[in-house]
Amino acid sequence: MNKLLKAILLLCATLLPTSGYATTVTDLSVESPKNGDGLTLDISWNISVEGEHADAVLVVRSKDGESWEQTGDIIAISDSAAYEHSDRLDVPGTWSYKVVLLNADSPEDLDLLLAQARTSSVVSGEPVGKWINTNQGHIALMCLILLVGWLMLHYTKRAMSGDEIYIRKMPGIDAIEEGIGRATEMGKPVLYVPGIDDLQDIQTIASMLILGQVSKTVAEYQSDLIVSCCIPIVREVADEVVRAGFFQAGHPDAFDPTSVRFISSEQFAFCAGTNGIIHREKPATNIYFGRFFAESLILAETGYVNRSIQIAGTAEATQLPFFVAACDYTLIGEELFAVSAYLSRDPRLVSSLKASDMIKVACVAAMIIGTILASLDNDILVNLFTISG
Amino acid sequence: MKRTVPLIISFIVGLVMVGEFFIPHYKYRAVTSELLEWGLILAAGAFILGLVNLVQVNLPVVIQKKEDWGYKLVMLITLVVTLLIGIYSGTGRQDDGEHYKWLFDYMFVPLNATMFALLAFYIASAAFRAFRARNLEATLLLAAAILVMLARVPIGEAIPVVGDYLPKVMNWIMDVPNIAGRRAIFIGAALGAVSTGLRVILGLERSHLGGE
Repeated sequence: MNKLLKAILLLCATLLPTSGYATTVTDLSVESPKNGDGLTLDISWNISVEGEHADAVLVVRSKDGESWEQTGDIIAISDSAAYEHSDRLDVPGTWSYKVVLLNADSPEDLDLLLAQARTSSVVSGEPVGKWINTNQGHIALMCLILLVGWLMLHYTKRAMSGDEIYIRKMPGIDAIEEGIGRATEMGKPVLYVPGIDDLQDIQTIASMLILGQVSKTVAEYQSDLIVSCCIPIVREVADEVVRAGFFQAGHPDAFDPTSVRFISSEQFAFCAGTNGIIHREKPATNIYFGRFFAESLILAETGYVNRSIQIAGTAEATQLPFFVAACDYTLIGEELFAVSAYLSRDPRLVSSLKASDMIKVACVAAMIIGTILASLDNDILVNLFTISG
Repeated sequence: MKRTVPLIISFIVGLVMVGEFFIPHYKYRAVTSELLEWGLILAAGAFILGLVNLVQVNLPVVIQKKEDWGYKLVMLITLVVTLLIGIYSGTGRQDDGEHYKWLFDYMFVPLNATMFALLAFYIASAAFRAFRARNLEATLLLAAAILVMLARVPIGEAIPVVGDYLPKVMNWIMDVPNIAGRRAIFIGAALGAVSTGLRVILGLERSHLGGE
């Protein structure tokens, strides 16, 4: 019955005169993006307005050319202009598109609308999926990563053959062992906070690598370690890392499973819980390595009040001033990623620092050359390092 | 074997995930999405382990009535009550009028705001220490801070003659030395991150697996 009613309505609608607005859609085109994923099509068209015009347009698509569906939001129009819409498809293949002109009287039912409203001609297109992003910025970045990888392997080879690689002295990292020693002498624990971000963040990963070295040193000194975690999966990994550190130091029996604690996954609840640990258990040394946000200063100031030695490291530029103000030692940005190599003195890891330094020299050179070229109206280097698409 | 298998998994998964940035094809993205979903499932499962850990750490303290056991008891009661109300309310727990929503709006939000508000006092005490002119660097920091703070408040603009120039000085401090310093940190950190990522993917970094 509903179908019959709909058919009658459709018939009536087709017999009715179309609205009298003088808006036309021209140059409708469909094309696959340059570095498309095989499920995206870019639709573009021009709207030409003369006198009374349509209020909005709607893009519809069809896989078989018969049943149409709306794609994207209704686009309001007021003047002659070029429009575009990026359409995300569910399945690959050839898709047909047309643009429907809408005004205030347009019916809400799409079938009725398509029968009654003015539409553009139908154009079709097929998305093409690319297996490599050929954007200049992507290629440049890929080359940079390959170069870092090659340099790392090159310096590793040199280090393994006996070449000595110099690392500058970093007081912040040296202070870790001093801090653990102090905690041992005072008979108080060491508190380690690996930031509040998830495990996929590179700062958390770096923090876990440092935790391995820290737990080994704590075990060697036969001191106590408390690890305060904000994310459950980070706690699980930290638990394994600390266990491995104690095992490696030859004291697997000294590992306390309750020393690696999940506090809360809520930022300030975690902050309150960790502050509680600082106040109650009075750790002699607090180590904050990882990604921190607003809780950084609350934790560091509480530690300061507790008179703990505090060592912090983060690549989060907004939190660095807080750590600098409240901690005894602060590792800035890249230094956080160097801690593990510095502590282990493993030539394979130290060589990776050398590789990073070489790339840094290249970056500085690129910046100087880029500044000169940009001042001479030449954007070649700017475009080379622009990531888009 | 205990170390080799994780190293192989790290290498393959790391390489596949790095590839996502360079390979836009949807078939490749389907693989990486699947891997990310596995990660999400693991992370969700870890919440249960986190819950077990909370009970493991806090319950013995309450039972043995160790120091500050009352706080732990409050925490455990809150944990159980929130959990039960959340389960009882089901999918509509975030609707108005539900007990879970009430707990969130009238317990969690004010407590969260209280902790955040404490930050103002911590900033004041940290700034007091940081801005003491002990050496040249600290004096420069103090001068820059005074200029920026003055330029951001109405009283700064009201200072005769100097007030007109303060916003320009502030903008210069924020846009030139500040941005230059931040960019240097960003570039260094980005390179450090690439190097750390490659160390883990290539298996050079093994301290998280127990080292050699």
